[in-house]
Amino acid sequence: MSSEVFLNQIMPIKQKLFRFALHLLGNEEDAKDIIQDAFVKVWHNKEKMGELQNLEAWCMRITRNLALDKLKSKKYRITDDLDRAQEVPAAHQHTPHQQAERSDLMRRVHGLIRGLPEKYRTILQLRDIDGLSYQEIAEVLHIEMSEVKVNLHRARKQVREQLQNLHVYGIQ
Amino acid sequence: MCMEYNDIRALLEKYWACETTEAEEAQLRLFYAEHEDALPVDLMEAAPLFRYFHAEGEMPMPELFTDVPAPWEHPESAKIIRPFWHHWMKYAAVLLLAVGVGYSVTKFQHKHAGGNNPELAFRDTFDDPKIAYQETQRALQLISKHLNKGKTEMEKLSYFSEAQEIVQGGHN
Repeated sequence: MSSEVFLNQIMPIKQKLFRFALHLLGNEEDAKDIIQDAFVKVWHNKEKMGELQNLEAWCMRITRNLALDKLKSKKYRITDDLDRAQEVPAAHQHTPHQQAERSDLMRRVHGLIRGLPEKYRTILQLRDIDGLSYQEIAEVLHIEMSEVKVNLHRARKQVREQLQNLHVYGIQ
Repeated sequence: MCMEYNDIRALLEKYWACETTEAEEAQLRLFYAEHEDALPVDLMEAAPLFRYFHAEGEMPMPELFTDVPAPWEHPESAKIIRPFWHHWMKYAAVLLLAVGVGYSVTKFQHKHAGGNNPELAFRDTFDDPKIAYQETQRALQLISKHLNKGKTEMEKLSYFSEAQEIVQGGHN
């Protein structure tokens, strides 16, 4: 793999990789570190590139493995920065009250998704935020497609139940 | 509008059952991002979730180390062009060296030519032999005159030393 292939095929998906790492780790700085480590690892394994069918899925798998290794390491402590939810850009201009309400709601949804088991959360993110197909998700996570569908269904069901609580009772 | 809401309701049902395509899910995210206010109550339930997905998808990307161009990628910009007179010390050193070499070469040639010419070494320095003879005589007389000047002093000294020896002999 030449540097041109790396620049043309790997670099364009960096935002997707970053978002993926960010959701797994919940911390921007760590996500950046992981992406950089992932790029280095991809570059070191460039000989394998010819055999691969889906480069994107391979890069995402590397990113996920690195992120999970970091999570497992004893030193790591999940700092679920609730403030970050407020950084979610608003699509339109609102009154301060609406903005506060919106930020609060976004924070709750963020917390709700982070509360899901890792597998559910990852599948939900890959599908609903990154827009990957079931096949691509199966390749990233190295699992069967049927397993992707089952886990996604369970994840959405769990999210829906919590959303109903949030909507009807205002609790999470 | 009612028609659109009905479509969204149908899509939502498909979404919760995991039967939607990627395009339909993208449509749901876009719908909720565009319709911030005044939605029917039943559609409000899923609103925070899809707005969250949409906002996360639009999340700005922080700068990574790979975004900064490497120094070798733009060698032209790194090259500093100075006018030639900025290197004056270089030219001065070359000039000094040239002058030094030239001087020593001429000096050597001059010395070499002088040493190898026997005619020049044994050539007479006079034109008239008679005057030369007189001048020589005069010079020699001057030497002998001054040579005798110190002789009387030396005689006195010898008297002293003789007397000293006699005195020392008498004592012994």
